[in-house]
Amino acid sequence: MTDIDTRRDDPAAHGPTTSNLADILERVLDKGIVIAGDIKIDLLDIELLTIRLRLFVASVETARKAGIDWWETDPALSSTAARDELRDENRRLRERVEALESAENGGAPAARTQDTAAAGART
Amino acid sequence: MTEQRPDAPESATSTYVFAVCRRLDPAVLTGLAGLAEGFPVRGLRCGPLTAVVQHVPAAEFTEDAWQRRLSDRAALEHCARAHHDVVTAAAARGPAVPLPLATLYRGDERAREALGADTDRFTAVLDRIANHAEWGVKVYVPATVRPPSAPAPAAPPPGGGAGRAYLERKRGLHRAREQHHDRALRTAEDIDTALTRLATATRRLRPHSPEMTGEKHRLQILNATYLLRTERAQGLLDAVAGLRQRTGAEVEVSGPWVPYSFVGEG
Repeated sequence: MTDIDTRRDDPAAHGPTTSNLADILERVLDKGIVIAGDIKIDLLDIELLTIRLRLFVASVETARKAGIDWWETDPALSSTAARDELRDENRRLRERVEALESAENGGAPAARTQDTAAAGART
Repeated sequence: MTEQRPDAPESATSTYVFAVCRRLDPAVLTGLAGLAEGFPVRGLRCGPLTAVVQHVPAAEFTEDAWQRRLSDRAALEHCARAHHDVVTAAAARGPAVPLPLATLYRGDERAREALGADTDRFTAVLDRIANHAEWGVKVYVPATVRPPSAPAPAAPPPGGGAGRAYLERKRGLHRAREQHHDRALRTAEDIDTALTRLATATRRLRPHSPEMTGEKHRLQILNATYLLRTERAQGLLDAVAGLRQRTGAEVEVSGPWVPYSFVGEG
């Protein structure tokens, strides 16, 4: 009773299976059966969207050719840069914590930092 | 497992719906990432139908978040492809009706209620697209190339003869462009007519302008899509090969697609 669909089993019989983004966007953005969702999403006009994407890609390409790589160092744009920043901050905080703890315990390991580790550590 | 009352605070997840089909073999969904990591893509029974859904973190799928996503090329591409992959998998064993990107409900119960209200519509569409696939066809012709003419002289040369010759040249160029244009339109119509004969239904999509394709050397004169019975696919490919030969136009075929373009009422 099930209508088995075997069309995907003989790919050689078919033309090129597309992975062209414009073709996919054209179909997933404004085709399909539309029913009201709980969350209203205003999908942008396909043509505007595609042009914007093209311009966006072009501007990144141009910048890269010109040797500009601001997006790789700007934390707002690059997760790598953000991670680096976070790591540095973590390292600084860990050092402070160690310094404070060793000051509190009168421990030797971080004796060098005792002077700087805030006199306020002892109450 | 508490009942969510309408005035209860929003839950942490929303229910994203990809497609609706009759029955679903859960095996076809294995390994699909969908749109949110850590949440399985799954079937949700809605009366006689099954929706293909996924829980997604509500906070990341608000309207604002979508606007940001749609403005970011990489994020948009990721979403579009993930959505398309699930829709395609859902249709592997029988017809599936795709929903557009970003169809979201506050929870499974709301999704069931909303989809259930449209059971008749879904059933009619499923009947219509059973044993069919969609095939996209785009036709291109070379963009008009201006013959390399000497730049027009700054001042008209003395004597009416030269002036007339200049006007004639201008007119000839204009005529050639018009003819090229007419021929291209005729070619598009011929191809569309030939392929429509094989199709259960056909739709014209908006041709992609040079701004969209980024191609200056050729013009897209037809962007059409055809709903074809499964066994007619080879016929379409053969017809396209013949049309390429006969018209000299570039014809690009894409497919088979889940019939995205043939499930709406439009």
